[in-house]
Amino acid sequence: MPTQEDIRLELLRSAPLDMWIALSEDETKIVASGSTYEEVVKNSENAGVSDPLLIKTPKVWMPISV
Amino acid sequence: MSLRVPYRKYPTKSGGFYYAAVLPVNIALPQKNSPRSKRFEAIIDSGATLCQFQASIGRAIGLNIEQGEPIETMGVAGPTKMFMHDISLYLPGGIVTVRAGFSDLLPTPGLLGMSGFFEHFKITFDPSAARCELERIFEA
Repeated sequence: MPTQEDIRLELLRSAPLDMWIALSEDETKIVASGSTYEEVVKNSENAGVSDPLLIKTPKVWMPISV
Repeated sequence: MSLRVPYRKYPTKSGGFYYAAVLPVNIALPQKNSPRSKRFEAIIDSGATLCQFQASIGRAIGLNIEQGEPIETMGVAGPTKMFMHDISLYLPGGIVTVRAGFSDLLPTPGLLGMSGFFEHFKITFDPSAARCELERIFEA
């Protein structure tokens, strides 16, 4: 049975790239996305999720080196 | 006060994954009762001198980013210009006022760096348990 972390990993793998995404409070669903921070906040509020977790997806998933 | 933060998994393009130590945080203007940003993931990064955030989050909380103090930082890809602002950073154990850098070019929503984050915690990175443990330091 997949762990909660593996469910989240597959969720991220399926997420649109180069976008902001909003995960549900329990991080099991993508509830909104947007090309900007403002847009994903608006879309998550429209989806009725008041406390989402926001993540910025990259153009290509790869380890980050800042 | 101690908090165990599991490493999070992120995909790689080859179908694998990598781990990162991240913390969900909010930021706000430093004035009392200022509205907070939504929670976003920030990387715990001892290689970052400063806390740094995406400029769009700063604009959303009311900062005029380009009116901040301009500075240059040196990253692995070369120098980056950013703008410094005082903000409230919502962390486990309470809020801290931080002078943080904001940039549109940051490839991640936030970095929690030496100044503003690491100075408030004893941090243990535990690869065997795939987690880090944060112990808040409270000044006497």
